[in-house]
Amino acid sequence: MSYLNNPAVVMDNGTGLTKLGFAGNDSPSWVFPTAIATAQSGKSQSSSNKSTGFGSSSANAQSSYLSGGGNSTSATDFNSLASSTLISNNLAGKRGTEDLDFYIGNEALVASQGPSYSLSYPIRHGQVENWDHMERFWENSIFKYLRTEPEDHFFLLTEPPLNPPENRQQVAEIFFESFNCAGLYIAVQAVLALAASWTSSKVTDRSLTGTVIDSGDGVTHVIPVAEGYVIGSAIKNIPIAGRDITLFIQSLLRERGEQDASLRTAERIKQEYCYVCPDIVKEFNKFDRDSEKFAQFIVENKERTTKKVVDVGYERFLAPEIFFNPEIASSDFLTPLPVVVDETIQACPIDVRKGLYNNIVLSGGSTMFKDFGRRLQRDLKGIVNDRISQSEKLSGTRSTGVDVSVISHKRQRNAVWFGGSLLAQTGEFKSYCHTKQDYEEYGPDIVRNFSLFNMI
Amino acid sequence: MLHLKPYNLLVQKTLTEALEAYNNGSPLTLDRIISDFDYTTLHITNDGTDKSNLLVSIRTKATQSCNESGNDLQGFLQAKFDEVPGLALSSAKKEAGYDFTITVDLSQITAQSIVQASLFKILVMSYPFYLAFGQSNALSQLNEIDQVEKSKEARAMVIKYRDDENIYIKPSFDRITVIFETIFQDETDKVFGKVFLQEFVDARKRNRSIQSAPQVLFSHEPPLEIQEVAQQHAHVAGAKKSTRRFITFVLFPRHYSSDELMFTSVSQLALFRNYFHYHIKCAKAYMHSRMRYRVDTFIKVLNRAKLDEETESDSRRTITGRKMVY
Ligand SMILES: Nc1ncnc2c1ncn2[C@@H]1O[C@H](COP(=O)(O)OP(=O)(O)OP(=O)(O)O)[C@@H](O)[C@H]1O
Ligand SMILES: [Mg+2]
Repeated sequence: MSYLNNPAVVMDNGTGLTKLGFAGNDSPSWVFPTAIATAQSGKSQSSSNKSTGFGSSSANAQSSYLSGGGNSTSATDFNSLASSTLISNNLAGKRGTEDLDFYIGNEALVASQGPSYSLSYPIRHGQVENWDHMERFWENSIFKYLRTEPEDHFFLLTEPPLNPPENRQQVAEIFFESFNCAGLYIAVQAVLALAASWTSSKVTDRSLTGTVIDSGDGVTHVIPVAEGYVIGSAIKNIPIAGRDITLFIQSLLRERGEQDASLRTAERIKQEYCYVCPDIVKEFNKFDRDSEKFAQFIVENKERTTKKVVDVGYERFLAPEIFFNPEIASSDFLTPLPVVVDETIQACPIDVRKGLYNNIVLSGGSTMFKDFGRRLQRDLKGIVNDRISQSEKLSGTRSTGVDVSVISHKRQRNAVWFGGSLLAQTGEFKSYCHTKQDYEEYGPDIVRNFSLFNMI
Repeated sequence: MLHLKPYNLLVQKTLTEALEAYNNGSPLTLDRIISDFDYTTLHITNDGTDKSNLLVSIRTKATQSCNESGNDLQGFLQAKFDEVPGLALSSAKKEAGYDFTITVDLSQITAQSIVQASLFKILVMSYPFYLAFGQSNALSQLNEIDQVEKSKEARAMVIKYRDDENIYIKPSFDRITVIFETIFQDETDKVFGKVFLQEFVDARKRNRSIQSAPQVLFSHEPPLEIQEVAQQHAHVAGAKKSTRRFITFVLFPRHYSSDELMFTSVSQLALFRNYFHYHIKCAKAYMHSRMRYRVDTFIKVLNRAKLDEETESDSRRTITGRKMVY
């Protein structure tokens, strides 16, 4: 069948951002917020009249579709006409069609600024919360953005660590029953992030053993992986991630009384100005001595008529510092990231620990701060060396030492997606997928297990 | 959200980004694979080391059959791309494994050329449609007797755009008949599809305001216009005969009387199947959300029916029947 020649579709739906694209590319084709704007019930009638051209009932839509050939000029206003003159005994006239009136991604953000749409994020902490919204989100991303017929493509989706098998089953039901996709593979994000690190020059052997630090928008996971299998019992998560850092910056801006302290501004400041410093006390001093360290961020409105100037100060290094000294922003979580990483590895079987220490891979948007990896490596080395010297003292023998190495690479930001793209472009990929035939033969249970990829 | 755009959003986005980067003096290095409906793959790359030129190549299943209907698809596309600045169909640079390649000169292109490039697939598929428009117009110039005779002789063109699915286009002096032959791979889709198509056919009868839309017919047997041609493809039909459906659109001259109308007619027809399947998927999603809702309410009912888990041991009573309080 000719779908064998079509590139597989790789989708990484994260809490904050969805990454979509085709296998074999080096970056996702689309990156947009995992957000959906749905018509608010009750107001849908007025909104469907306003939203031009998106005829909502299936009959309306058909009619505007049809008439496009004939009188292409009036597809919009005629729509509202049609909906009022619909004879009530046809199917579509009987109930509303709010279910078809929605936007996703950036369009959703725009639409939600109007009164008739409400915005929601179907994924929380990496896991799908609202399946109705998610199904529609997928439907729109496949047909509108990727322009693919799901029947012709294989799909690689990602899931967070410790995703309950029921969720995976739900995903399979949607993909096979609604979309009839040709084949499906659901990979654990951490494993894909490891695969993505193979592009780094520091990585010499392509093994699937290592510790992944995946910090996205909602939560940060530290995940040990041994030969492709996630060591579930040792996974730790840290309730500090991108969104918390943004909020922290916002609170600083507010305190200082800056002209513009919106979340958007805070987020852009975070992405453009923040970095990790080796030592905060010294950094404070540096700032006081050298005023060039302070920056200014200019917010323009859409029409470029008004300009607001926002000063950027200590938050440049203070914000990412939350990872290393959580007490500056939170009162209930106080363990620094390097300590969590060390505890995680210590909780793993002793024979894989070495491998875990010398392949610590970063992934996700919130690890993009400059020098994040370097600082982590330094702190972690400190902890490990302390322990070694202590045990040397106690036992009187010499240790061979543990090599700690944190790997950052170019593709870190979308590491999960990129790893997926790497794996899905290989020839064997399709043989690891569950196909529509398998699904029909055995039912949704089959997706509880996926055989592991061993790429060489 | 229901309308699929005729142009490929992704090609448009990629080229726009490339143009912006080029204008900012830091041209992108590109090597992207992009997919489109119906076994179409597009490939955008740099032209060797020359950063100001991009190559966009296309491979689509329909190419061969489209070309057979008039044998000058190349020339047709050439003309289409020459209409806008910065694009040119290039046979010298044609990438191996692809059907056509265009060169995009970033120093010259405009927003309009970007749209034209992102219409690549639709342009390939539109070739037979434009031939049919031409033939129909030519036929209508003849005298009355010839019109009928010659129209009968006119050959139906076939676009083989998917494995077992084809589009037939039959020009005549006063109309053009476009017939979609579709096959459903999935039983559920077949049912949804039938309901949907019936609505599609009925919508026009019911709704006076869309009388100007093309007529739609729906049948299980090949319509007369294409019976001969369809016979040739009968071997495919053998096993899947029961799932074959024919959807007929009848275009009247008012649907192709100007360039603009021709383009809208063609692009909507070329996207019809995708639109159709998209709709089936939306309908299923809607069903699923109703089912989830139902299950939730049932679970609530069940929960209400649950007995209190109070057992004798943790609610001891005194001899008078009062509850003991610890
Ligand atoms: N250059 C950058 N510097 C700092 N933070 C960044 C940068 N780029 C993106 N981010 C932040 O990364 C977060 C998004 O990261 P990512 O896409 O990895 O998350 P996700 O996959 O959506 O979420 P999760 O993996 O938790 O489900 C956002 O909070 C964003 O602000
Ligand atoms: Mg993620």
